[in-house]
Amino acid sequence: MARPGNKIIQAKMVLLGDMGTGKTSLVLRFVKGQFLDHQEPTIGAAFFTQILSLTEATVKFDIWDTAGQERYHSLAPMYYRGAAAAVVVYDISKMDTFTRAKKWVEELQRQGNSNLVMALVANKCDLEPKREVETEEGEQFAQENGMFYIETSAKTAENINELFYEIAKRLAKAFPSKPTGMNLNNEVRDRRKLSCCLG
Amino acid sequence: MYGAQSKRDLALEFQSQIPILRPSIHARRANLTVKFQDLYGFTVEGNVDDVNVLNEVREKVRKQGRVWWALEANKGANWYLEPSISEGIALKSSLKFSTLANAITLKRLIRNGIPPLLRPKVWFSLSGAAKKKSTVPESYYNDLTKAVEGKVTPATRQIDHDLPRTFPGHPWLDTPEGHAALRRVLVGYSFRDSDVGYCQGLNYVAALLLLVMKTEEDAFWMLAVLLENVLVNDCYTNNLSGCHVEQRVFKDLLAKKCPRIATHLEALDFDVSLVATEWFLCLFSKSLPSETALRVWDVLFYEGAKVLFHVALAFFKMKEDELLLTHHVGDVINILQKTTHHLFDPDDLLTVAFDKIGSMTTNTISKQRKKQEPAVMAELDQRLRRLNSLKLDDK
Ligand SMILES: Nc1nc2c(ncn2[C@@H]2O[C@H](COP(=O)(O)OP(=O)(O)OP(=O)(O)O)[C@@H](O)[C@H]2O)c(=O)[nH]1
Ligand SMILES: [Mg+2]
Repeated sequence: MARPGNKIIQAKMVLLGDMGTGKTSLVLRFVKGQFLDHQEPTIGAAFFTQILSLTEATVKFDIWDTAGQERYHSLAPMYYRGAAAAVVVYDISKMDTFTRAKKWVEELQRQGNSNLVMALVANKCDLEPKREVETEEGEQFAQENGMFYIETSAKTAENINELFYEIAKRLAKAFPSKPTGMNLNNEVRDRRKLSCCLG
Repeated sequence: MYGAQSKRDLALEFQSQIPILRPSIHARRANLTVKFQDLYGFTVEGNVDDVNVLNEVREKVRKQGRVWWALEANKGANWYLEPSISEGIALKSSLKFSTLANAITLKRLIRNGIPPLLRPKVWFSLSGAAKKKSTVPESYYNDLTKAVEGKVTPATRQIDHDLPRTFPGHPWLDTPEGHAALRRVLVGYSFRDSDVGYCQGLNYVAALLLLVMKTEEDAFWMLAVLLENVLVNDCYTNNLSGCHVEQRVFKDLLAKKCPRIATHLEALDFDVSLVATEWFLCLFSKSLPSETALRVWDVLFYEGAKVLFHVALAFFKMKEDELLLTHHVGDVINILQKTTHHLFDPDDLLTVAFDKIGSMTTNTISKQRKKQEPAVMAELDQRLRRLNSLKLDDK
């Protein structure tokens, strides 16, 4: 895991998106390698952790998976406050979830953290026959908003690791090089540093 | 007609079974995690100690049942159904002494737990659901479910989406019959109160009500009394403002009742609402083992929404020492989650919740809510304006 001399990044990540788009499923696939056909709706938010080791850094993710239903919107700021990365998810088989995703992106941009690493995730790409949102639409919106775009399936695991690796890489890059030898006990302090560098 | 009959059989089946769980010898030796069904049919994972605790709980439930039966034999079957006994009324001098005595007995008795077999009857009367139902024609629920059959609204679409996602794998809830019953209750309610419509979280609450109450119709009335009388207003409506108020009150209470923890969590930049929101919206149905959650509900329906604060504070109180040693948000959450998931003995929780937290009257809590309301409204309003300005910029 953490190599000696490798920098350690403690990063808060938040998942946002309409209800049932697969936020919880994406995280569970990444953290536990599992997928459930019937995933319980998230109330408020759920918390997960996962560690990814890159050559340039070790990223420790604190993941907040939020509730998707519109009325839970009013709770969201508490979860995205201080986040270093945000993953906005929609379901390719439902156009209205893409519309909602765009709103999330706008809201995130206004909350003032210009270093926020943002991903636009087109999930459920295994449902190709039912596709309502074309790849180009997603790609274009992502590009216009300085995010990276990726099509995933929590069900088949397609692109799940890629998604989180890409975020980790971008976080590592966003961090100015720090002296090596930071230790794990300084998590709180590191996190503070992260939020001051990134937001 | 609504599948209530076979539902009833099923609920009874869970309760009459009450088998003594015997983990296999292999599990004992290896202290492995075993999976088993609890009193209400939920699959629980735990180690051998947990199984032993659950067996003890079953024994206590039986004993508590005998206490209730003895009282019925002594005072008459409906002795507790006298005029509603809230803190305020208990002070009225016009009240007969026997009523007062009953009130005191009843409060203690309920904190010790209502036997599962008596729950439907006791909840229905003491919560006010029976009274609520009696103010409308007998056929209200049947008429309502018939009238809304086949109607499609945003709420019904969301309900349909969530039916198979509500306690998946439960032997009754996750069957076509269970889905249909839950659907009728939630859809019916969404039409009864269109401000609430459907709020995620209510699916879990209604599901548990269905398992406890003997009929679907009674579950519906319990849901109604819960949202309309027991909990604060607007917990589940459009921007969950009631829930925001409760969270602020809870933060203040934590600072008062567990000051060291509150200070420590603040230093970690940990906002308790991050975890407490789910507790308050699902009424612990997602975080506590079923019998423990229902023991909380026993008191909730009798003493009111302040009980939720008692219980939430108890989690922190129980783990005070451990929580004070944490350095990281993730550790705090892990401790709380592990604690709630393993509270198989309801008395462990309720003893702390009521004896160690100290008393809080409904009155003082109401005052604190009043104090927080303007701040919540201002915050939500400001946010809405910011979001709207965002839309205007688009044009
Ligand atoms: N076919 C397919 N189904 C998926 C995929 N991801 C999730 N699902 C299903 O979609 C449903 C919703 O998934 P969740 O992960 O609970 O969605 P969510 O965004 O967390 O939903 P909320 O918590 O309600 O906001 C579940 O029943 C999943 O099994 C996917 O990639 N492909
Ligand atoms: Mg979810």
